[in-house]
Amino acid sequence: MKAIAKYTWIAYTAARSNLAYAAEAMSRVVFMTVVLYIFMRLWAVVYAGAVTDQLAGLTHRKMLWYLVITEAIILSAPRVWAEVDQDVRTGRMAVQLIHPVSYVLAHFVMSMGERVVRFGINLAAGSIVALILAGPIRLTVSGLALFLVVLPLAFVLDFLGNFLVGLCAFWLESTTGLAVIYSRLVMLLGGVFLPIEIYPKGLQPVLRMLPFASMIYAPGRMFVEPHSGLLRETIIMQGGGLIVFATLVCVVQAVALRRLFSNGG
Amino acid sequence: MNRGVEIRDLKKNFILTRWRGLRRNVVEVTAVDGISVDVPAGQSVAFIGPNGAGKSTTIKMLTGILHPTSGDVRVLGFTPWRERRKLAYHIGAVFGQRSQLWYHLPPTDTFELLARIYSLDRADFVRTRDVLIDRFALGSFLQTPVRKLSLGQRMRAEVTASLLHRPKVLFLDEPTIGLDVIARQELRDLIREWNREEGVTIFLTSHDAGDIEHVAERVIVINHGRVVVDGQVPAVRKQYLGTKILHVQFQEPPAAIDLPGATVLFRSAYELKLEIDTALTPVQQAIARVLDAAPVADIAVEDPPLEEVIARIYGQADAIEKEGP
Repeated sequence: MKAIAKYTWIAYTAARSNLAYAAEAMSRVVFMTVVLYIFMRLWAVVYAGAVTDQLAGLTHRKMLWYLVITEAIILSAPRVWAEVDQDVRTGRMAVQLIHPVSYVLAHFVMSMGERVVRFGINLAAGSIVALILAGPIRLTVSGLALFLVVLPLAFVLDFLGNFLVGLCAFWLESTTGLAVIYSRLVMLLGGVFLPIEIYPKGLQPVLRMLPFASMIYAPGRMFVEPHSGLLRETIIMQGGGLIVFATLVCVVQAVALRRLFSNGG
Repeated sequence: MNRGVEIRDLKKNFILTRWRGLRRNVVEVTAVDGISVDVPAGQSVAFIGPNGAGKSTTIKMLTGILHPTSGDVRVLGFTPWRERRKLAYHIGAVFGQRSQLWYHLPPTDTFELLARIYSLDRADFVRTRDVLIDRFALGSFLQTPVRKLSLGQRMRAEVTASLLHRPKVLFLDEPTIGLDVIARQELRDLIREWNREEGVTIFLTSHDAGDIEHVAERVIVINHGRVVVDGQVPAVRKQYLGTKILHVQFQEPPAAIDLPGATVLFRSAYELKLEIDTALTPVQQAIARVLDAAPVADIAVEDPPLEEVIARIYGQADAIEKEGP
């Protein structure tokens, strides 16, 4: 019980601290609005030229709401890798290890606290844009419940991926390159701009097997087109991804901590 | 002995791998080389040494952050690297160059978070927090975001944060770095006061001789990973620097003073500052000669600054190292 209170309070403090970055939150909202506007215009042209009113099983309006969700997810990602990288490089890790907390868990709840705030702001801003440019879509309580099952797992999976990139600071001079590659993989293979169904047929099974789709595509699709088949498929993929990523984090961290050097005070 | 810190033959080697083209070059570097020290509960110890001497590595092994290559350590009866989280409830640490306060939030928010992290009883936490706020005079900036605090205010808040759970051992790693003279003195006084009144064991590392003189009763000097000096601060000063500073103000210009082993540090018409080698001229004899030279308005006998003692110890340790065993 005390452990839950401890980690919940860390998440709450991280969320409060994130609210202090008002200018950053605003710039993210502006950036997201611009991106959404551009893609909504592009999809308008695509749908106008299409022979059918549905692409990838989604109407024009649903496609725009799909974009809102995927953009809100991708732009809410905290820079976990950069935090871990700096902890390793500057020795800041020592300050955290002096407290009776798990390093991974503390980072996890901090990133969740931060992410919930950012996602909330992004979703609110994106929804306003979508309501103005596309109009509302029909949402059901059961559909939202399914969405709220897959969304947190998507965040956890993304956290573990980011954390792994950060831990590479024990071996690499800089993890920035790796982080850029990781974020591009999430964007391109995760289905931020295009649902998986639009990719070539031969590529789709591969993309569904990768963890990136269950971070971005699955929650986006679940929001606009919820169904139990997708939930089953997503939970299996997310569960598998979590096992693989969590194992990797444990192994890499154990090896990495043996490489912990201490320099300069 | 009361349970404080017990260190037995502590060693830490680091393996450094360097690539030269396709050739891998593995070098083993010894950071800590067989340190054995006992620190009784309640003692304040300065742990000093030049850069790269191994102090930081030792502190990180004592706090459970690093695993040693060999040796044994007990801090309050715990083996730090095996029982890091258990030990963390009983120790505190202040790293002068790294903050544990949340940058965008006021100090009070970090205090609230630490109360949860250490699972403190609410009433105990409030009582300790209020005592510390009062003692460290944090009231005026308690609700100000940390980013807007001066360095002196921030460091007072840092020390408060590390004392909220009433640790039995406090590790201070260069706590006064970057502070101005007043802030530095205030912080030293507060730490010393807490050590004496609460019986907290203080483990201090610093390059500032003033920190050592004002906070510590015992000094341990390490160099190249080994203990080269271990003793009470006044004894170390006496042992390693057999000199006194004689500072005299005359009522009229003095006659020439010729003393064996005396070096003039400063001279003006009415003032004289001499460094006396007490092995060649006892202090009493030096004072007698000065009093003969002219009527004296004021006279002070001072110990040399600890910086000189430390510099001399480092110099001697390096000389011994070069000569070999």
